[in-house]
Order: sequence, then structure tokens, then C-alpha cells
Amino acid sequence: MPPEPGRAASRPASWRRRVPGIRISVFVAFVLSLASPLVLPSSAAEVSPQHWVEGRLMCYCGCADLTVRVCTCGTADTIRQEIAARLGNGESPDQVVAAFVARHGEQIRSAPLKSGFDLVAWVTPFVALILAGTALVVVIRRWGKARQGIPAGAPSSPGTESGRAPTPEEQRALERVRRELKEDR
Amino acid sequence: MAEFGTLCLFCALAASGWAVIASFNGWRAQLGELVLSAERAVLVTWALVFLAVASLEYCILTDQFGLEYVASYSNRALPKIYKFTALWGGQAGSLLFWELILISYASLIVLTNRRRNRVLMPVVVTTLAFVSTFFLGLVNFMARPFVRLAFSPEDGNGLNPQLQNPFMAIHPPCLYLGYVGLTLPFAFAMAALATGRLDDTWFRTTRRWTILSWFFLGTGILLGGWWAYVELGWGGYWAWDPVENASLIPWLTCTAFLHSVMIEERKKMLRVWNLSLVIMSFLLAILGTFITRSGVISSVHSFTKSDIGPVFAGFLGLSTLVSVGLLLYRLPDLKGEHRLDSFVSRESTFLFNNLLLVGAAFAVLWGTLFPIISEAVRGVKITVGPPFFNEVMVPIAFALVTLAGICPVIAWRRASPRKLLEKIQVPFWALLGGVAALLLGGVRDVYALVSFGLAVFVITTTVMEFFWGARSRQKVTGQGFGGALLSLVDRNKRRYGGFTVHLGFILIMVGVTGSSAFKQETTASVKRGESLTVGRYRMLFEDMVSRESPNAEFMGARLAIFDGDRRVGTLVPGQNFYKAGQNPSTEVAIHYTLREDLYTILTGFDPQEGRATLKAYLNPLINWIWIGGGVLILGAWFAMLPDLRDRRRDAEGRLAEVESRAA
Repeated sequence: MPPEPGRAASRPASWRRRVPGIRISVFVAFVLSLASPLVLPSSAAEVSPQHWVEGRLMCYCGCADLTVRVCTCGTADTIRQEIAARLGNGESPDQVVAAFVARHGEQIRSAPLKSGFDLVAWVTPFVALILAGTALVVVIRRWGKARQGIPAGAPSSPGTESGRAPTPEEQRALERVRRELKEDR
Repeated sequence: MAEFGTLCLFCALAASGWAVIASFNGWRAQLGELVLSAERAVLVTWALVFLAVASLEYCILTDQFGLEYVASYSNRALPKIYKFTALWGGQAGSLLFWELILISYASLIVLTNRRRNRVLMPVVVTTLAFVSTFFLGLVNFMARPFVRLAFSPEDGNGLNPQLQNPFMAIHPPCLYLGYVGLTLPFAFAMAALATGRLDDTWFRTTRRWTILSWFFLGTGILLGGWWAYVELGWGGYWAWDPVENASLIPWLTCTAFLHSVMIEERKKMLRVWNLSLVIMSFLLAILGTFITRSGVISSVHSFTKSDIGPVFAGFLGLSTLVSVGLLLYRLPDLKGEHRLDSFVSRESTFLFNNLLLVGAAFAVLWGTLFPIISEAVRGVKITVGPPFFNEVMVPIAFALVTLAGICPVIAWRRASPRKLLEKIQVPFWALLGGVAALLLGGVRDVYALVSFGLAVFVITTTVMEFFWGARSRQKVTGQGFGGALLSLVDRNKRRYGGFTVHLGFILIMVGVTGSSAFKQETTASVKRGESLTVGRYRMLFEDMVSRESPNAEFMGARLAIFDGDRRVGTLVPGQNFYKAGQNPSTEVAIHYTLREDLYTILTGFDPQEGRATLKAYLNPLINWIWIGGGVLILGAWFAMLPDLRDRRRDAEGRLAEVESRAA
């Protein structure tokens, strides 16, 4: 049985003195600051109104479920040209999107609106997560209380980190681990 | 040959049906011979299905266009390898292939459990044979691969050009191996519920099968992404298409199960939850198949609309009814000792990890099905596309990654908050250092900063786990560090295989972040001798080139690629004009480096003016997605290898079973 490496007890007590946080932070910062300009072009580019509108419309070519922003078919090219022309004529990005929706229906939007019934699409996953998370916290607390009700002599895991001395049972288990490890050599 | 195939399929249906009846009645009446007969029937079904598949392959490879399936998905000029893969290019063939995988898995289960799990096996065989009978019913009556045409055309329609890609030769089999593999833990769970043998036998027996299914499903998803990247020509790899989502959802619930089952192993807790996750994963795999094949939701990947949708819906409903009914029936027997020593413990992090994984699965399912809900409620059909999924999934993914960083350093049962803070101090400082460096490097995108920062955090905690584990072992055994590390990992393959999977996942996240937050693109129409530029690359259009293969004619633009003044290569993006198809297929050309990909597409060519319209993307860090996938696969394989303790446990289990039978 290998020792549980996740346990602080098995680590050198002075590791914090020997590896201070600031030094680690500076080291990682130094390495990444050398690497990041080499790897990443720059900060993300500003999204132009043209690209913003393209990202909010689905291509209706039928060959793929892609937004106009990324679809490579001829239909997407035509839509992109129309978007450029409309923006050039002074229409706002929202007006351009609205014009396409008026012509092709709600289905051309790449995502539901964040209003009206469509808002349900956006909030439901998070509401479900929050409700389930709350229920989970309540359940964990209840299970924790159930644990507190156990008599003091009940067996506990050798993985406990309360800092107490190991029980004779744990001591025997540790001895067995050491013996197994020696045999392994 | 077609008649022989039809006969094989019909006999296979009969054999599979017999396996259901015999195993169920054998179990009810405690007739061992009947159960053995059912097991033999499974093996016979396998042989018959194999012969049917071989017959169909023979018909495709020998161009028998008198068969509707061959005429629809193959043609004379199709290369041999794609003729072979045409087996899963259409609805009927892919269902037959699905059945072959299912019955192969079932046969392996029968063969490896001849002397083990004898109490569970009758119900396991009933379940597997029932699913097999359903699929055999489909290929016998609804999606028949051996239908003859009234005439024999000279040539076939050919395989969809986009499926003529090496990734497409591997991607569907991988996905099927994953989807179908989820039937095995489901069958054992059903057996545990039906027989009342609710101890840990069922999940210990299927643990490796579950990891294998998870592994194949994940590999299939990854290969699908790679295929989309090199074949579809839009510069991306994941479009949150309904069919893509359908494969991701059961993978997420299966991931949740692989984590939560560890709590059941250690503490005998969460038995209902684990059974629910296994049932959920199987039902979601069937739901995914239903989505792909029914045409209920439109998708680029789906098969042509067919009338098998209602039958699939019926099967899904029946499976749900039986499995949930059994679970509810056994609920009183499943009450475990639900006790947690502390809120701050690894058990708690696993529970939150499960919450997030199942929450993510729900979010994807919700987004996929919302167009149907919207149409039913408002009468208006809407689209739920990439912006929705990106916005909803990114925070969930960040929370999951944070847990992946904390989980390895937190102890089972109880960890004091002070010690936890102490342990995450180094990773936290590393995170701060990483974010500071990125800010200094000019990165301002908040998502990118959070993503890269969390990546540094998780990598640090994981590397520290390997390091401290090896150091501890080194102290006890006196081995060198390398030897101690190797023996540490070898002695606990599951734990360190799991950590390796985490590292692979983090590399994928780095690749996804880099290629989405820092992507650059350009489009230009250029004449010979003119250039276009993206990022630091200049692409000089030299000439048009063309070449002909038996199957297609290729036309492309030869581009000289310059990084600054240095020529670094030549790319030829183009289009394939398949002889059997009408629409040209985009053939992208990519200059791969670990730092970034230069991705070029020829979107049009005007021969009169000699102009090529080109699109180019610069995708930073994208190759780390595939490298991360490789690391993930490696970790999963490693986790599947048996540990010494597993072998000991297996031997003990077998001994106990022999003793109980002798008694």
C-alpha cells in the first residue's frame, strides 16, 4: 500500500519555509511572462460590429449548424455582405439583427433572447444548479450531524487529519504498509 | 449474399429473443440449464450478426448496387477503406454495426463470467439480450440493410464526401463503443436491483467496462472534434450541434459516476445515486441515438429522417419505466449509512463535483431540447446555438476545474480548513504568479485570465501530488526519486491515472481558451503574386494546382507561407469535386506548430481573373487540445490496468463465491 500523498503529515514540516509562496509566484510569473508573448498574439481583439452581428445570426444554408461568423458557404458570404452594407448605411448592429429576424423568423438568432419566455432557457440551468447545490449543502450538514451522533469509540479512518495520535489499529495498519513497502524493494 | 445476410439477421433475432425468454425464466424458476442455454444463445447471436455484417461488407466491397444500401452509400470509385467504412455511413448499416458491438460486448460478458457473478448473470443476460433484440428488430423490420432494388444501377451515389476522412473511419466506431458500452454497467445495475444483491459486486465487476465506455466515448468526441477541424473548413472543432451534445451528455454523467462510485467503495454511501447515474447514462445514450436518428431535432450530423423515431421513443420510455420502477422498488434496501465526518473532506468535493457534472449535463440537455419546448409553448421555433452554450457552460467548467485542483490535496473523511489552506498555498501563489505574468504579457481577456490561472493552479496541485507521493515513498523505501515515482504510480494506477486524466483535461482547456480568445482571421481575394496576412504569417499566392484521383478532382491554391521573411512552408488549400457528388468539398490546409495553427481555406476561384478567395485563421494553442486528449487517453488506459490490490480483491471475491456455493 502506498502512503497517501495527500496528507500533510507525510511531508517535511518545514516545506513552507523552504518554498515560500512569493518565490513560487515570482518563478511562475517569470516563466509565463517569458512564454506568453511568444505564445499568445496579444489580448483578444475587439469585436467589430460586423463580427458581433455575424455571431448572433445562424447561417440558413442548411449544410451546417453554424453562425454566419464561421460558416464558409456562399449563403454566409451573401449574408455577410448584406450585414456590411446595412452597417455601412448607418444601421445599428441591433437593427441589422432585427431586420434579419423580421425576414427569416426567430430561428435565425443564434441564441434565445434574454427576455420574455426565452429567458427561461438562460436561467433554468443556473436555478437548477443553485437549488440542487442548496439541497446538497443541507444533506451534507445532515450527514455530518449523523456522524456526530456516533459514539466516541467508533472506528475512524486513518486518513483523519485532526492531528491526534494514531489509534493502535491505525498504528498496526501503518506498520503493515511499511512492511509491504520493504518487501517491495 | 444479401439473402444470406437477411437470413442471418432473422435467425439472430430469434436467438436473441430466445436469450431474453430463457434467461428471464431460468432466473425466475432457478433453472441453471435454461440460463446456460440463454448464454449460448447470446454467443450464437454474435456469430449470426457477425455473418450478417460480413455479408453486407462483401456486398459493398464487390459493388452490388442492386442493394439499396450499397447504391446509396458507395460507388465504384470509392477507395476500399471508405467502402469498408460505408457500413456505418447510413442508417441501416450503422444500426447493424451498433448491434454487432452490443452483442460482442454481451458475448465477452458471458465468456468472462462463466464462473463468476452467477447470481447476477441471468438478469444481466436478460437485459443485454433485450436491448440486442430491440436493435435486431429495427434492422429486421424498420431499417433493413439488405433491401433489393427493382433494378441494378450502373454505379452508386457514393459516400458523403465529408465522411471520406480517416478520422471519420475511427470516430463513429469509437462513439458506438462508448455509447453501447454504457449498456454493460446498466445491465449489472438492473441485475443488482432485480436480484437484491445490492452489495458492491455489480460496480466492481463493471468498473473497468465503465471506464472503457467513458474512454471510447471521450475519444470519439475528441476525434469528432478533430474531424470537424480538418474537414468542415470553418476553423473550429465544436459547434454545440445537437448530435455533438448528445454524445457529451452521457459522457458527463458517466464522469460523475466514476467519481461518486469511489465514495460508495470507501463508505458504502450514495448507492441510490450511483445506480441512478448508471441508469441515467444508459438512458441518455439511447436519447442521444434517438436525437441522431429520429430527425426530431435538425442537425448536420443526423441521419436522414426516418420512421424509427417513435420506436426509439417507445424503447426509451419502456427502459425508463422498468429501470426507475426497479430502483423505486428496491429503495428501502438501498438505505446506506449516510455519514460525513466533515464538510471539508474529499467526499464533499466529490459530491460537489457530481453536482456540477450532472448540472452541466442538464444544461446541455436543456439547451438542446429548448427549441422543442419553445415551439410547444409559444409556437415559435428558435435556435439555441453556440453563444448560449458558451455562456452557460464556461462558469460551470471553471467551477469544475477549481474542484479538480482542490480535490487531490484534500483528505478523505476530514481535513481541517487550516491545513487545506496550507496545502493550496503553493498552487494559489502559482496561480497569482501566472495571472500576473499574463497581465504583464498584455492579456486582458477575463475568461482567458481565469482559465489560464486555474490551469496553473490545477497543474501545480497535481504535480505536487506526484512529487510529494514519490518523496514519501523515497523516504520509506530508500529508492531513488525516479524509481520511487514509478513504483508509486504503478502501485496505485487508478489514482495516478485519474490525476493524469485531470492534466489532460487541463491541457484541453488551455487549448480551447487559446484558440477561442486569441483567434485571428482574415479573408482576401488575391491574384497570383499577391499576399494576405494573418498574425505574423504572410501567405503568398503562387499558383493554382489541380490533380485527379479515381474518386475526385482536386483544385487548390498553392501558398508560400512566410513567418517574417523566412519561408516556413507551402500550403495548398482547395476543393474536391467528387465524381459521385454534386457539391464540392472544402479541403483545408494547415501549418501545424505547438504554438499555433495557420489554417487556410480556399472559398472560391475565378479562373477568368485568376483570383483566389482565401480565408485564413490563426488558432493559438489549438494543438494542445489534441495533446491533452492524448494525455487523457493515456491516463484513462493507465487507470484501467489492474492494481495489485484489485487482483487480491478479485481473488478474494472469487474465493468467497466458491465457498458460498460449496456451503
